[in-house]
Amino acid sequence: MIKFSHVSKRYGGKGGVLALDQVDLTIGEGEFVALLGPSGCGKSTLLNLVAGFEPLTSGSMIFDGHHIDRPGPERAVVFQEASLLPWLSVWDNVVFGPVVQGLMAQDYEPRAREILKLVGLEAFHEALPVQLSGGMRQRVGIARALVMQPSALLMDEPFGALDAQTRLSMQQLLLDVWQRLKVTVLFVTHDIDEAILLADRVCVMTARPGRITRDIPITLRRPRSIDDLTNNDFMHFKAEIMAEMRGVHVPH
Amino acid sequence: MSEPSSLPLVVKVQKVIKGLVLPVLAIVLWQWAGENGAIAGGALPTPDRVWDAWLKWGFGNPTFGLNPYVGTWRDSVMFSAGRVVHGFVIAIIVGVPLGMLIGWSRLVSSLVDPTIQWLRPVPITAWLPISIAVFGIRDFGAVFLIMIGAFYPIVINTTQGARDVERNWIRAALMMGASEGAILRRVVFPAALPSIFTGLRIGLGIAWTAVIVSEMVAVKSGLGYVLWDAYYVGRMDIVIADMVSIGLMGFLSDQLIVAVELWALRWRRMQSFNA
Repeated sequence: MIKFSHVSKRYGGKGGVLALDQVDLTIGEGEFVALLGPSGCGKSTLLNLVAGFEPLTSGSMIFDGHHIDRPGPERAVVFQEASLLPWLSVWDNVVFGPVVQGLMAQDYEPRAREILKLVGLEAFHEALPVQLSGGMRQRVGIARALVMQPSALLMDEPFGALDAQTRLSMQQLLLDVWQRLKVTVLFVTHDIDEAILLADRVCVMTARPGRITRDIPITLRRPRSIDDLTNNDFMHFKAEIMAEMRGVHVPH
Repeated sequence: MSEPSSLPLVVKVQKVIKGLVLPVLAIVLWQWAGENGAIAGGALPTPDRVWDAWLKWGFGNPTFGLNPYVGTWRDSVMFSAGRVVHGFVIAIIVGVPLGMLIGWSRLVSSLVDPTIQWLRPVPITAWLPISIAVFGIRDFGAVFLIMIGAFYPIVINTTQGARDVERNWIRAALMMGASEGAILRRVVFPAALPSIFTGLRIGLGIAWTAVIVSEMVAVKSGLGYVLWDAYYVGRMDIVIADMVSIGLMGFLSDQLIVAVELWALRWRRMQSFNA
């Protein structure tokens, strides 16, 4: 479904910063893959490349059999701060994609209503983003992405700015949504617990230059819930990943 | 929902009263100075005489006698305001879309922006000869000048607003499949609106300056014409009444824009549900 081959990204021309160095990664249909690493390791850069926001420097990126050269609704992005359009109501934000694509109202309205219900915002159609809490805004961000029926969901530290309790409830929400829709997800995070809890595979990245050093399958049973955060299998994965991250952490 | 109207009435009244302190003091002092001969040779009429002249100018019956300053106030105001609206609307129609394109597209920016920056330092007064040469002593000369004067702040602020749109809003629209046109209309324009309104308010101020200047020189009607004409015939009471009228019109038209702005940008002032 998504295939990176020797993908490199350099900022600022020759002699600039090498953000990604020869990254290879293949993500299967319906798979949930987490990119885990410290800030500056290039994990968000990788996501921006898949999204089509930035061109790659070398290598190739294939999505559903096509080279990625621009953003598109089949690769829906959930941004770190939701990035909703503040002058639009929750409803207008959610249907923005179908509307600008020129779809007929009867073709997307039932789905939009259903998805707003799925993320627990059916009572907030008319609210403006400033009237919502951070967690609720991110629910709108997720709904806006899902309403386009994307082949893949690209999530860039979507819960990074939320308080711990809200983050847990959002993680549970995402687990439930994914269990129902089984959409391919590429999820960027620096939170080890979050990566293990959500993902089928955790790809550990290092910085300078950005590389994937380990690709660890998480075999925890599905469906999962935030209660899994404390079980023994979970702790086993956590220990393994922490060792990996310590081992590859080059002092600078 | 708007901030001003959500203030309690007492606070609003207090604000207005505080704002009136200085003007009232100035008028009292001016009246006192006039009555006590502190203004040399009676060069300036006292406020009560200005008020009388204004009342006649505003409500007198123009059929009595041939005095041009009886009952003609409304006509003069409408002439000037009409020209301001005319020129200002053209400046908006040209300035806002152009500013959006300059802010959005590097190509348009490099093609158009330098010319605008070179022409901008030319004061509107310097355009007067060309305006008269091309349009003659007619209405459109004033409209042209107003348009030029209001255009620069509108185009420059719109450009700035379009350049400062949050990158992720545009990225979000792109990933949702929006075309360039849809992004300009549905993202860049609303995002630039706060800046655009700043440009409109500055532009409107310049529009009033431009209309007065051109009526003083190039058009034979309106508040600017009356101002200069009254000065020539020594009617300083009318000159002052005219100045106050210009200030009043400028203030009211600015308040009109502020009201539209409060409505258009109400999404910025909403309160949280705290749900």
